[in-house]
Amino acid sequence: MSRYRDRAGRLHLPTLAALAVVLVGWTLLSRRYGAFVLPGPWSIVTGLAEIVRSGEIWPHAGASLGRIAAGFGGAVAVSLVMGLGAFVSRTARGIVQDVLAILNSTSVFVWIVVSLVWFGLSNWAPIFTTFMITLPVVASTLVEGVASVDRRLLEMGDVYRLSGAQKFTAIVIPSTLPYLVAGMKVGFGLALKVSVVAEIFGVTSGIGYAMNYSREILATRMVFVWALVMILIMVATDKLLFDPVNRRLTRWR
Amino acid sequence: MALKLEVRGIGKDFVIPVIDSVSFGVEAGEFVCLLGPNGCGKTTLLRIVGGIERASRGSVLLDGLPVLADRRHQRHVGVVFQEDRLLPWLSLRDNVTLVLRPLGLDAAARRARAAGYLRLAGLQGFEDYYPGRVSGGMRQRAAIARALAIEPDVLLMDEPFGALDAQNRRIMQQEVRRIWAETRRTILFVTHSIEEAVAIGTTLIMLSARPSRIRERVRNDGGRERGKLIDDLNAMIMEEVERQQGDAS
Repeated sequence: MSRYRDRAGRLHLPTLAALAVVLVGWTLLSRRYGAFVLPGPWSIVTGLAEIVRSGEIWPHAGASLGRIAAGFGGAVAVSLVMGLGAFVSRTARGIVQDVLAILNSTSVFVWIVVSLVWFGLSNWAPIFTTFMITLPVVASTLVEGVASVDRRLLEMGDVYRLSGAQKFTAIVIPSTLPYLVAGMKVGFGLALKVSVVAEIFGVTSGIGYAMNYSREILATRMVFVWALVMILIMVATDKLLFDPVNRRLTRWR
Repeated sequence: MALKLEVRGIGKDFVIPVIDSVSFGVEAGEFVCLLGPNGCGKTTLLRIVGGIERASRGSVLLDGLPVLADRRHQRHVGVVFQEDRLLPWLSLRDNVTLVLRPLGLDAAARRARAAGYLRLAGLQGFEDYYPGRVSGGMRQRAAIARALAIEPDVLLMDEPFGALDAQNRRIMQQEVRRIWAETRRTILFVTHSIEEAVAIGTTLIMLSARPSRIRERVRNDGGRERGKLIDDLNAMIMEEVERQQGDAS
C-alpha cells in the first residue's frame, strides 16, 4: 500500500487528479463566457503547437532569454564580487547587507520607470530591470552563505596550515555553493517574471512583448499560449538545470 | 634529555586572569593528560600550546623553537578538537589528504600516507565514506588519523571523546592508548574525566581552579595503585571546586 502510494506520489497522481478537475471547470467556464474571455485549455495547447510549427516561438523566447542572460548573469557576477567582499571583510559585509536590504524593498515598477528614463525604449530597459531586481535576491543568499561558513572549520584549516587558496577552495566554496544555487534558482524565476513585465514597454520582441501584442490585437488565446511558454521555460530550467546541480552538490548529505 | 615541549610561565587574561602562570615540560613520547575543574582554562592552555590562541604572558617551545599564534613555524602540531571538524563534503580519505597538501607531498604520496594512518585508526575499508555516513566514533577516528598523518611533533587532543557515549568512549580510550604505543607520538590530552586520564596517560597534570596554576603533577606508570590515584585526584578536584565557589561567594 505504502509502496503504491510512493509511486503515486512520484508520478504526481494527486496533482494530476486535481488538474483534471481544474481542466473540466475551465472548459465549462470557457463555454459559458466564450473564448475571447477565457479560451479553452485545448485551444491553448494547439496554439502552442502553432507557434512552434511556425517558428514564431523561438525569436521571442530567445529574446527574453537573452535579456535574462544579460541581466541575471550580471546580477550573479556582481553577487559573487559582493560575496567575496563579505567574506574578506566584516565591514564590507555590513555595507553589502544594508545596500541589499534597500534594493530588496524597491518595487519592480520603480526600476522599470527609471530604466525607461535612463535607457529609453531599448533592450537595456528590461536588462537593467532584471539586474536590479535579481541582484538583491542572489546576493543576499550568497552573503548569508558566506556568513554561515563554519569558523571552526577555518580554524582547523589554520591549524593544518592550509594556504588561503586551499582554505577557499576546500572550505569556503563548498559551504557557500548550495546557497548560491538556491539563490540562483529563486533569482532565475524572478528574472523571467520581471523581464517579461519590462518587455511590455518599448521593445518589439520577447515573451512580454508577444503577450501584450496579442492582447492588443484581441488574440486572447495567444496571451495564454505565451503564458504557457513562460511556465514551461521555468519548469524546464528547474527540473533540468537547478535540481540536478543541487543533487550533485549535496551528494554527501 | 632535551624536552620536546616546554611551557614557560604561560598566562592568559580574559578581562580577569584565567590562567595565572603555568609551566611544565614534556619529554618526547610522553602521554600527558591535563586535568582540572571546569572552566580552569585547560582548553585555552591547549590552544595556546597549539598556536591557535595568543598567550597574555609566557612562551611555548617545541623542540626549543617558539610557537606563536598567527606566525609560521617549522614544527608540526596535530590537533584533535572536541568536535571532529571534518569537512562533510570530502570523503574520509580526502579529509586526510587535504592536510598533507601544505607538506608538499605529491598526490600518490598523500594517498599512501592517508591510507596508512586511516588503517592505523581502524578505518580500513571506510576511506571513501563521507563523514555524515559513519558514526561519531569513526569520525573522531578519522580526525585522529588526520592529526597523525602530518606526523606531528606534538599531538594535541581537546576532550576528543566528550560527545561519545560511555561504551564508545572506553573503546576510543583503548584505541588512543594503542595508537600512542604504536607511534610513540608526544601527546597532550585535555580531559575533565579523571578515570579517562588515569586510564590512558603516562603523566597527569592537575590544574588548580581559576586563575589556574599547576596543582599537581603525577607519573602514572603503575607505581601507584589506580583506584587510590583516582580517589586522590577526585579529592583534589573537589577541593579546587570548593575553593573556586568560596571565592565567588
